[in-house]
Amino acid sequence: MLGALAGRLGAAMATAVLSTAAVFLLIRAVPGDVVGEMLGQSAGDRAAEGALRAFFGLDRPLWQQYIGWAGDVLRGDLGESWRQGMPVAGIVGEAFLVTLQIGLVTLVVSLLVGVPLGIVAGVRRGRWPDLVVEAFSLVALSAPVFWTGMVLLIATSTWLGWSPPLIYARPGENLSDNLESIALPVLALGLLQAAAYAQFARQQTAIVMRQDFIRAAIARGLPARVVYGRHLLRNVAIPLVTFAGVILVQILGGVVVVETLFAIPGLGRTLLAAIQARDYPVLQGALLVAVLIALLVNLLVDLLYATIDPRVRGA
Amino acid sequence: MNRRARIEYGLGLGLTGLLLLVAIAPSLFAGAPDSVDIARRLAPPSAANWFGTDETGRDVYARVVHGAGTTLGIVGAAVLLAALIGGAAGAVAGFFGRLGDMALSRSADALLAFPPIILGVVIAATLGPGAFNLILALGIIYTPVFFRIARASALGEGACAYVEAARALGHGEWAVLLRHVAPNVLPTVLLQCVILFPLALQIQAALGFLGLGVPPPTSDWGASLQESRNYLTSAPWLSIFPGLALLAAALAALLLGRGLQARS
Repeated sequence: MLGALAGRLGAAMATAVLSTAAVFLLIRAVPGDVVGEMLGQSAGDRAAEGALRAFFGLDRPLWQQYIGWAGDVLRGDLGESWRQGMPVAGIVGEAFLVTLQIGLVTLVVSLLVGVPLGIVAGVRRGRWPDLVVEAFSLVALSAPVFWTGMVLLIATSTWLGWSPPLIYARPGENLSDNLESIALPVLALGLLQAAAYAQFARQQTAIVMRQDFIRAAIARGLPARVVYGRHLLRNVAIPLVTFAGVILVQILGGVVVVETLFAIPGLGRTLLAAIQARDYPVLQGALLVAVLIALLVNLLVDLLYATIDPRVRGA
Repeated sequence: MNRRARIEYGLGLGLTGLLLLVAIAPSLFAGAPDSVDIARRLAPPSAANWFGTDETGRDVYARVVHGAGTTLGIVGAAVLLAALIGGAAGAVAGFFGRLGDMALSRSADALLAFPPIILGVVIAATLGPGAFNLILALGIIYTPVFFRIARASALGEGACAYVEAARALGHGEWAVLLRHVAPNVLPTVLLQCVILFPLALQIQAALGFLGLGVPPPTSDWGASLQESRNYLTSAPWLSIFPGLALLAAALAALLLGRGLQARS
């Protein structure tokens, strides 16, 4: 178990190194850098350009730049923003917390909505509850998530006369303002992920419902509460818990676009702003966080799976 | 396939056919997408302009119809590009294994570590706007997915008895791969094209919405949604209809993919 864990951890680290290196090269491989962006009008002044490049370390070979950056990261230093002069860890960390809050709330919402829908659809396969859930999930899965957000904005402002506050509030500052800011993003993302959850729960429920022990339980005349509450739920729970990891990673991806629509200062907006300004340290820091989170969640899912289901251990 | 699955599949086929027709021959369905008529700017949907008009008085219906070719063309080209490169590399890696397989697999893992939309944003923003760059960005995102699918498939096929038999008959390794294994990997890759299409479409639309897609005045559904942001409440039809088109296209591919999966 420990050996397998170390192996997985090692593989995840190797992947993180490779993917950050790939991104590092990619963003530097294209013409135009922070120097050109900063000099603007006075671009073409060779001496000034050279001095700035040397200052940012852009005159060194790419591999030296990467080793230097990776070394700093391992020492816990993400560097400083080239445009704002503030530590990257602070900028990215603050933005990440904003995104994480939305992600976690969305996860809870989609779980609470999607799982019951999926289980009901799976138990009543082919009947009208199944049809309704299927129709809902197909449409929700097909709609672009930012468009769902736009439609929600239009609907709430037209019919309810309500629109989210223009300026994002942190949960620590003012909780009710904060909830108003994140309500629509959570709803838009939640509809999509609830649909994904419902589909998965329906499929898993259908698989368990076909098992002999369910038929046996029904044949023994056990009340529905016991059959569904005990026999079905226990067996569906494991895949549903692990699926939460998949959903969380998807939410953290999807939130990038939704943040832009709702002007929320999360990881996605930080990423976009850093790209536009060619602020490499912030960009690399934000991408590092994104990759590490995805890898970490996947690792946790595997661990959780092994803990809940003893059959998986050692496999 | 039961009755409901057949209906779903038929619906998917019909919708796909219609969208393809619109994408290939938009002039059958609507007039010019660029004719400006300032006098009729931001007009709500009416008999003359089914989907209303935009801020320069262009017909939204015509722009949605003409956007089909752009949007679906870009996504289709990107998925095919990824299938070609990723599929070929995956089949070769899975069949031959060894060091090349390991190097390619690690690279694929590295790309797959990113949430696809984040990778898309980074690549599209660094390459700059434009249809070709968008195809490239989407292609890079989905190449590792096809790689994995084709690799797993080739790995499985490679262990089959017919491969052993072909070897015993004295065929070279490449001949076995191309003539015997590849034809069996191909259906899996083609099915994956349909399955990935709606996902790639969402990302294409998102990039367009972020302003990283096709530059104006070309009509593209995602780009139209970006242009509509300033008129969300004053002219909601600008946002509703391009989004519905995206929804319809994703739904068509989703239904088609499920039908094909159920049949195979």
